[in-house]
Amino acid sequence: MSAVTAERTSAPLASRPRTARRHSLTHPPRVGLLLVAPALAMIAVFVLAPLLFALGISFTNWPLIGEVEFTGFTNYVSIGSDLGFLRSVLYTLLYTAIVTLPILVLGYALAVLVRSRRRGATLLRTVFFLPFVVGLTTLSFVTLLEAQPNSGAINLVLAALGITDGSTAWLVDGPLATALISGMVIWGVSGLTMLLLMSGMQAIPREVYESADLDGASWWQQEWRITIPMLRRTIAMSLVISVIGSLLAFTQFYVLTKGGPGSATATVVLYIYKRAFVQLQLGAATALSVVLVVVVALVTAVQLWLVRGEE
Amino acid sequence: MTVVAPASRTSSGRRETRTKRLLYAVGGTGAFLVFAVPLAWALFRSLQPGEVIVAAPDPAAFFDLTAENFTALVTGPGNLIRSVGNSLVVALSCAVLTTVLATAAGYGFARFRFRSGPVLFALVVASMMVPFQAILTPLYLQMNIMRLTDSLLGLVLFTTTLNLPFGVLVMRNAFSTIPGELEDSAHIDGAGTFRIVTSVLRPLITPGAATVALYAFLAAWTEFLGALTFLTDTDLYTLPVAMVNLQQETYGEINFGYIAAGSVIAMIPCVVLYVALQRFYVAGLASGAVKG
Repeated sequence: MSAVTAERTSAPLASRPRTARRHSLTHPPRVGLLLVAPALAMIAVFVLAPLLFALGISFTNWPLIGEVEFTGFTNYVSIGSDLGFLRSVLYTLLYTAIVTLPILVLGYALAVLVRSRRRGATLLRTVFFLPFVVGLTTLSFVTLLEAQPNSGAINLVLAALGITDGSTAWLVDGPLATALISGMVIWGVSGLTMLLLMSGMQAIPREVYESADLDGASWWQQEWRITIPMLRRTIAMSLVISVIGSLLAFTQFYVLTKGGPGSATATVVLYIYKRAFVQLQLGAATALSVVLVVVVALVTAVQLWLVRGEE
Repeated sequence: MTVVAPASRTSSGRRETRTKRLLYAVGGTGAFLVFAVPLAWALFRSLQPGEVIVAAPDPAAFFDLTAENFTALVTGPGNLIRSVGNSLVVALSCAVLTTVLATAAGYGFARFRFRSGPVLFALVVASMMVPFQAILTPLYLQMNIMRLTDSLLGLVLFTTTLNLPFGVLVMRNAFSTIPGELEDSAHIDGAGTFRIVTSVLRPLITPGAATVALYAFLAAWTEFLGALTFLTDTDLYTLPVAMVNLQQETYGEINFGYIAAGSVIAMIPCVVLYVALQRFYVAGLASGAVKG
């Protein structure tokens, strides 16, 4: 072939848009799109569509039967006077405030125990994480059994220690139920914090500690001045995860108290659930949901940003 | 610390004193008991008859263990054995579907360049920020229209979608770490996209796929709010919903033996899978698998 024809054939190629030239023969863009399509379709149908739908519904009264009426911002405006909702917001914040720090502290303590290659550390790690793996639903059922007055293990242990007489009816009293559920959750999920922090601790180069040892730094000093500062991001991430979990708490309250007595232990998600599926006020419930989406999305955005920064 | 003499070093390079070893032994044993005993106790409870569970402990009856709670799951009220089957079907289907879809999408995002790629990937990540608890009402209405409520298929599609964003992330990372030359030579040998993934790349992406499948299975097995909302037909109840139902329907004369046995059955797959596949579980944590 002459140089002229070669030039002619290459000319149109060069004038094509830049993206076209990057098209790969072994990885055609069309196949790529086909590969990601099913997953995206699922997300579009079961996450994005309901999200848009939620916005729509929140501006209507949306009765189960009868005509849908556009009500503008009524549902949003009435949030301010929805005492049940405001109460559930306060309760959820209180619950979050109660459990967050203990989960972090206990998780940290467990991580300190299992981070080394001492004998038994692997076994301990597995055992500490088991409650989290079992999940809050099942733990709630176990707790339900063991919180029974006079027969449940929690009461029997407290009676044996001389703290109570063993007849405490935990679940029919707001503060007691809150204490019980908080205790169960702290015990149940601190294993997650432990694993996250442990991975972070093991990634800290040992030379840092060796030189601190040479400088005569005590254990506390090493923990405060080296470990915790270097784990800043991991600690922040595990905090975000546990805060989101607390803000969305539902199962443990549904199984153990149904939000009762009265609505003393009704969390936000439980309140919205009841509003929608017991009282059938879907429009109002959805407006509340939209507010929750915004709050949790903001907190999750922080989490994703932290995960990204880690890599 | 005053005890300095026998100082060996741990893997972290920190000084190992006798005091520290003692603290580890005491703290480790104490914490072990705190975490292990309640779970072992739950197992013990499930072997007590219901009336013993709710009675003040009587040494004469307390240790008379029986399997009657478990046999009652089959014969007793609440259709618990059926709900165990439903849970298994949902969890297994969710694990398979999530893994397949996430593998395809992960491959697509990692290896193929198409104009909408970055935007679509951002969409997947962004969808992780939407808590399903908060869109439950519209999701219910929509699934009702699609005839996916009161259907195990509907529940599978729902739980699969919950697991997809994380699954796609994990699988995209898994494909990204494989050198491109491997695919190129397979292409030269004439293998198609499907063949390449299922035979050439399979061993390399198996750890990622195992992580995705494990999380999807466990998430679907323990999922509660969705199943509670979408299912009203008692024949379709998953295990946790059936247990709540049992607790509600018969409140006052509830047989705690069934609850105890149901809890143990609910725990078994979680414990077994976690202990057997621990490294895949831990690998998933680093990818942001867990929400609260």
